[in-house]
Amino acid sequence: MTGTAATGPAIGSVPAGDGSTGRRRALTRLGHAARIALGAVFLAAGALKIVDVAEFARQTASYGLIGPRLAAVIAPGLIALEIALAAALLAGCHVRVAAIVTGLLLAFFIALEGWGIMQGRIESCGCFGAYVQRTPQEVILEDLLFTALAVMVVVFLGAWEPRRHRLAASAVAAATVATLGLAIASPRLPIDPWVTSLAVGRTVEELGLAARLPAEVQAGGLVAILDLADPASKDAAAALNELAATPGLPRVLALTPSTEAEHAAFLWQAYPAFDLLTADRPLLKRLYRRLPLYFLVRSGRVEAIYPGPRPPTADLLSSKAS
Amino acid sequence: MTPKTAISHAILATATFSVMVAMAPAPAAAADVICRANYEFCVEVNGAYPPDARFFVAETRGKFLVDIPSQSKSVLIDLPTRRAVSVPRDSIKPDGADGKVRVADPGGAGAPAYALSIEGPVLRFQADASKVRILKVTERAAQVGPVTIEALAADRPEYREGMKAYKPDPVAIEALKKNKKPIEIEAFFGTWCPHCKIYMPKFLRVIQDAGNPTIKLTLVGVPKNWGDDKTPGPWQGKNFQNVPAIMIRYEGRELTRMSAHEGAVPEVDLATLLSAIK
Repeated sequence: MTGTAATGPAIGSVPAGDGSTGRRRALTRLGHAARIALGAVFLAAGALKIVDVAEFARQTASYGLIGPRLAAVIAPGLIALEIALAAALLAGCHVRVAAIVTGLLLAFFIALEGWGIMQGRIESCGCFGAYVQRTPQEVILEDLLFTALAVMVVVFLGAWEPRRHRLAASAVAAATVATLGLAIASPRLPIDPWVTSLAVGRTVEELGLAARLPAEVQAGGLVAILDLADPASKDAAAALNELAATPGLPRVLALTPSTEAEHAAFLWQAYPAFDLLTADRPLLKRLYRRLPLYFLVRSGRVEAIYPGPRPPTADLLSSKAS
Repeated sequence: MTPKTAISHAILATATFSVMVAMAPAPAAAADVICRANYEFCVEVNGAYPPDARFFVAETRGKFLVDIPSQSKSVLIDLPTRRAVSVPRDSIKPDGADGKVRVADPGGAGAPAYALSIEGPVLRFQADASKVRILKVTERAAQVGPVTIEALAADRPEYREGMKAYKPDPVAIEALKKNKKPIEIEAFFGTWCPHCKIYMPKFLRVIQDAGNPTIKLTLVGVPKNWGDDKTPGPWQGKNFQNVPAIMIRYEGRELTRMSAHEGAVPEVDLATLLSAIK
């Protein structure tokens, strides 16, 4: 395509020089299909991340470019941005701007993943939340495909705007504000039973823990999941020590998705009186949204779940007394 | 006071003192400490890893034992007091059949004590001329390049003990023993990789128990940065993103790769793969 903005076709519009209206319509339809597909992808990405904002913040910080505190602030903002872009694309509000911003965001994600690969990173990016695992290479391929969709939107739709522009703009604003509110409130929402696989009555096999939990604990034990990087884990460990030292109570065992180095450092600092085992983060991540978390196992099944921060000391002691 | 009275007072005082001494409680002997071996950690002495060095976790909270028979050195670590106390080797006795040991009267009078320091994940102390560090086995310098099962088991207690502890399914092992198809297995793993530490000892035990010369294993340790083009080795061009990566070859071509997830049962997986080869 040649020519200037004054004499040639507008940037991003479909060339009409050959006079083929049918071809132009087909390309416009293709542009709309790309717009809706890209909007749906970003809507799914944002919605899945809302489920576990804390994990997304952890994954963001794990690139090492920003600290955990800044990541905790940026994570809800990034989710809101993704939903805003999705809403703009789907509602047809400032489509070209939304597609360009989406493309730039995707280019940033591709660069970030490329940098991660160079650093030897193999952890999933968290682009579609904590429960979808892909390698950095797969993420780059996906993002390239999505970038192609963004380019198609810019090229084929040009300055297209919907008829009800005000309504579309209102929808985008409402979706953005609602998402931001949901993302901030998410950790306190009682949605764990719907988004994690830990539930009363589930067997340790169904939880993927049969190979990790000793037979004695599977028969009857209190399992804690601790994030050792969280300062609150020391208080949890102190309470678990009391339980471990009380005769007649179920055996206490803790699992952690923390790194080997964090595990060792914790052992030297807190010297727990209970067994503390590291387990693959993807394996454990399916069980929780927030840590610490405790659950009681009897005869290979989950009997009760106790969300943190303290273990169910009173419950266990009273059940012992009765 | 007459001399006679003085003598009788002295005798009485001596007798009273003797009775008091006899009745006084004896100095409390420190309670025995029961310890069980832990293969998550390794013992580094002056930069080397003595093959017989073992690290134990005591049933008494905050206590750990480091035992290095070849250097006649045993040290009981007490984290709450940040001290490491030397214990005579003859005071360490096996306790039951499950590998536990009992340390009798630890920290006896006059036992040399050393200051401990904690540097993040590493516990460190200096016992006489020996600089001792306790660190995670995954933090040890990686095994890089081809290695035999025997050499790996001799050098890495976590693999040796993991192999000992695993009980493969006898039916699957029997099937592997009967295999007649010439199979080549290339297994890339990292001694720095926590997942390999769980899976690979099971897999190696399976190969060892099968003891079938038609199943030929090439075991290769990879460095942490194996994906980096600047790190040449047998892993180059093998196109794997994660370790362990276990490739099954038959008649010179790669048939498949084994799933090595945490709950995988290698003998069953391998027997199933081999039975599917036509």
